Amino acid sequence: MADVFQFLSSASLEKLTGRKAETLDELLNLINTCPDSSIFYHTFSAYMKMREIRLPYNNDFSYWISNGLNEKALAEKIMATDLSEYNTLRSLRLRLIDIIEDYRNQKSEAFQKRADDPFHLFDIIRVVYLTDKFAYDLKSFREAISTISIYSIYFHFIECQLEKDLQTNDFSTWIESSLNLPDLAQMIKRIDLNAYTLEGLRTRILQLIDGYLEEISKGLTSAGLDY
Amino acid sequence: MKAPTLFDYKEVVGPDIIEELTILASHLANRSIKMVNSTAVGGGVAEMLHCIVPLLNELGIQVTWDVIQGDQTFFDITKRFHNALQGQEDYFKEDVFNTYLAYNEKNNDEIDFGEDLIVIHDPQPLALINWNQRRKNKWVWRCHVDMSHPNPQVWRFLKPFVEKYDAAIFSSPLFSPELNIAQYRFYPAIDPLSDKNRDLDAVYIDRVLMQYGIPRDRPIVTQISRYDPWKDPVGVIQAFKMARKYVDCRLLLVGDKAADDPESEKILEKVRAEAGDDPDIHILLFSPSIATEINAFQRASDIVIQKSLREGFALTVSEALWKRRPLIGGAVGGIPAQIIHGHTGLLVHSVEGASLGIRWLINQPDFAKQLAENGHQRVKDEFLITKSLKRYLLLLLTLDKQKEQTIFLSY
Repeated sequence: MADVFQFLSSASLEKLTGRKAETLDELLNLINTCPDSSIFYHTFSAYMKMREIRLPYNNDFSYWISNGLNEKALAEKIMATDLSEYNTLRSLRLRLIDIIEDYRNQKSEAFQKRADDPFHLFDIIRVVYLTDKFAYDLKSFREAISTISIYSIYFHFIECQLEKDLQTNDFSTWIESSLNLPDLAQMIKRIDLNAYTLEGLRTRILQLIDGYLEEISKGLTSAGLDY
Repeated sequence: MKAPTLFDYKEVVGPDIIEELTILASHLANRSIKMVNSTAVGGGVAEMLHCIVPLLNELGIQVTWDVIQGDQTFFDITKRFHNALQGQEDYFKEDVFNTYLAYNEKNNDEIDFGEDLIVIHDPQPLALINWNQRRKNKWVWRCHVDMSHPNPQVWRFLKPFVEKYDAAIFSSPLFSPELNIAQYRFYPAIDPLSDKNRDLDAVYIDRVLMQYGIPRDRPIVTQISRYDPWKDPVGVIQAFKMARKYVDCRLLLVGDKAADDPESEKILEKVRAEAGDDPDIHILLFSPSIATEINAFQRASDIVIQKSLREGFALTVSEALWKRRPLIGGAVGGIPAQIIHGHTGLLVHSVEGASLGIRWLINQPDFAKQLAENGHQRVKDEFLITKSLKRYLLLLLTLDKQKEQTIFLSY
């Protein structure tokens, strides 16, 4: 019998800090000195913001560097930071600092630029809560995925990496450890976060489950327990 | 018409969003909020409270709404405060401040503040905190005013009262001053089921356009805004005239005159002079406007423009985006939060930019349609009243724990 998976969700309030940056040096100072929750807000939370309109955007710092300072190359380098690789706020903060400092060696004149519209530093208070959705096996998991909110998908697929310092997501962990379906777990783990909206992410997970079940029905994949 | 219930919003935002609101609210059983503002009708704050108060009550939060009382003397002062906070030059004598405080004290004597959370809206009742400094509950000031360039004298007077609150809420970081209390960002929101935003029958839209003599033979470019220099209606006409050298269209200006603004008659004269006798420019003046007719004008438009030079938040932008209209907006105030240039609309900085925007959107209907679709989604994600409900629930859940970064709710 598989462990029961109870779906969680999260919500947050945005706090204004009154702190802002108009240059890369000022931005570096903010990144160096802001609380962890600000780093979280401008990176992890950015997956929630504007994703549904299909903007290639996953990070407030890179968005401002691109639009405010017109430093596209630096913006791309920051945007390409893999959150599953830098999955603690400490390591993510250090990585952001490294990228910006490295850019100084490549293009020092970028640090002389001053943006018309400043970068505003935010902070955040997160609230994590239980939902009334459960999964007991792959079938009920599939049903739940199709009905939970995008906030719940966001929590288990993105935010959980921060909670647990994991290099994977809650869904893959449960599917592997409780359902004993490592192939499916791996396929879900490999979904490229940057290529999907949260609704797109939901659709992709459902596609992978359906494809997996179809393969099992054809006898192409070894069946796990209790799916 | 019967007021919408949470059930009605499920159809609009999806059942999952309403379910999450009920989960958050279940952690707040028997908690109470009092909203306080200065008017029960008219204006965006009253409109929002009429919608949000019954919905929060439906979620199980005990919410009451009190309106402070005052006479013409008091409201003349608070109108001046409002304009001064938005940057208007003014000078206040000491007795003005004393009169403002006297009215706040009188209101304080008449209102009971026993609720868990007191939300004071805007500057009119701001000083009520002065007589409630020894309190067990939490007080929050919700500022709906553009405070990016406040008049220093009036801000010097009001700031000490603001800092007596537990927290303040602003619509944008652009409006948030330096304060020694926590500050939150709450975007304003529109009600998708209100007369101004709900779906309309195409026959009704046709009838409204016919009633006001607006032919639908060519694309219609519309600005719906008060006749006020900061909304730049003259600039809109100039942009339209420049664009019409290349594209065939009509311009519709719909607005009301601010009754308390002596400048508005002058600006209307300028608008009429700029339009001349051009039969393709339609200038409508309402006093007051009818919500369903404004809705019809927005829905009948091929392009909506909000070419403001200075702006608070401009919820007219969200209203038009919600109706899937391609938008051109001035890059000021809260407009860039709603229009992400090239994705949910076009941001412009000049008459020429607005003119190019009109040409571009009329000649590129597929692009215009994509912008409009993205804009609709952005409003659905951020600027609907259901998001405001969520923010108030979160505020109530977190006010006791402002120092914590993450709060886990468990039963």
